[in-house]
Amino acid sequence: MSRKPPANILSLASQTAAQRKVKTARPVNLNLFSIKWPVTALVSITHRISGVLLFLAMPLLLYVFEMSLSSEAGFRQAGAMLASPMPRLLCWLLAVALLYHLIAGCRHLLMDIGFGETWRAGKAGARAVIVLSALTAVLAGIWLW
Amino acid sequence: MSQVLISIYRYNPEQDSKPRMQNLEVEAPGDRDLMVLDVLELAKAKDPSITYRRSCREGVCGSDGMNINGVNGLACITPLSKAAGPARKLVLRPLPGLPVIRDLVVDLSQFYEQFEKIKPWLINDEPPPAIERLQSPEEREKLDGLYECILCACCTTSCPSFWWNPDKFVGPAGLLQSYRFLADSRDEATAERLAELDDPFSVFRCRGIMNCVSVCPKGLNPTRAIGKIRNMLVEQGT
Repeated sequence: MSRKPPANILSLASQTAAQRKVKTARPVNLNLFSIKWPVTALVSITHRISGVLLFLAMPLLLYVFEMSLSSEAGFRQAGAMLASPMPRLLCWLLAVALLYHLIAGCRHLLMDIGFGETWRAGKAGARAVIVLSALTAVLAGIWLW
Repeated sequence: MSQVLISIYRYNPEQDSKPRMQNLEVEAPGDRDLMVLDVLELAKAKDPSITYRRSCREGVCGSDGMNINGVNGLACITPLSKAAGPARKLVLRPLPGLPVIRDLVVDLSQFYEQFEKIKPWLINDEPPPAIERLQSPEEREKLDGLYECILCACCTTSCPSFWWNPDKFVGPAGLLQSYRFLADSRDEATAERLAELDDPFSVFRCRGIMNCVSVCPKGLNPTRAIGKIRNMLVEQGT
């Protein structure tokens, strides 16, 4: 922009970044456990964590999927594998992560088009995500067992 | 009178190699509520070396922004009852993410640099009319919820995106002000302003977690302003 700012602002801007360079020896207060997080932030960070979990689980899921598609015997083998308690629990946990990621992601999309951007609606939306996820987690559990 | 327990972040660069927490007890009137700043003044009466910024003591100047029991806010307008609850225990730390000069005083240079970036002044090359540049009441209304910002830095220093990229992400306070000029009918530099924000960091590091909205002492909404800027960038097709 070629247009000139008012003189008083210009004097501030004329200091170079080097002149204002921050002393690096100074400590920074950034203990994440000393900070109280609002529900909107917790829902957002959990969205990320669930996404990472799903990504990490992809090879495992693809492996079982591939096994089930290989042959009739393979399909039975995969089915038997998933029927035992621990893998079934793992399946449920991944289903919960997926459902949570989906629901929280939809909330993010809604906010991107301008819904729920007030503080009250933002909080309500975050709580709705938690409630809906808990409900779907129970439903997924019922379906699996 | 009743006891208030205060835990204060202390760091004196001339004496301390690293920060520490100091515990203090002060006697506060039990029959009425105090503001956190009042309690801090009582603590300073006991230990005059405690350092913090303050000026207007009524939430207008924005100098006593600090982290009060984990939540950023202005000490002068945060009631003790709201901050500490019935436990009457206060934990006071400097605004997170910025270099600490001493005790509760942080170096706000990075915050101001981001503010400067968005050119916080009206840009209009037309010769000014004899009296003033007029706006309709509707045009003026668009600035409500934007112009009230006092630059206390509570929002920006509660934002993880700013903590990780204080040099590249403009932050909630800067972006709220940016939208204040984008939305101003008298400003002619909309396209230039948007062009300068059009990169992966300046605006798009906002993930909409609303920490900024949750702490703003003036009840403003940077998340919504950032959404508006994002929409303007999209509409511009850049």
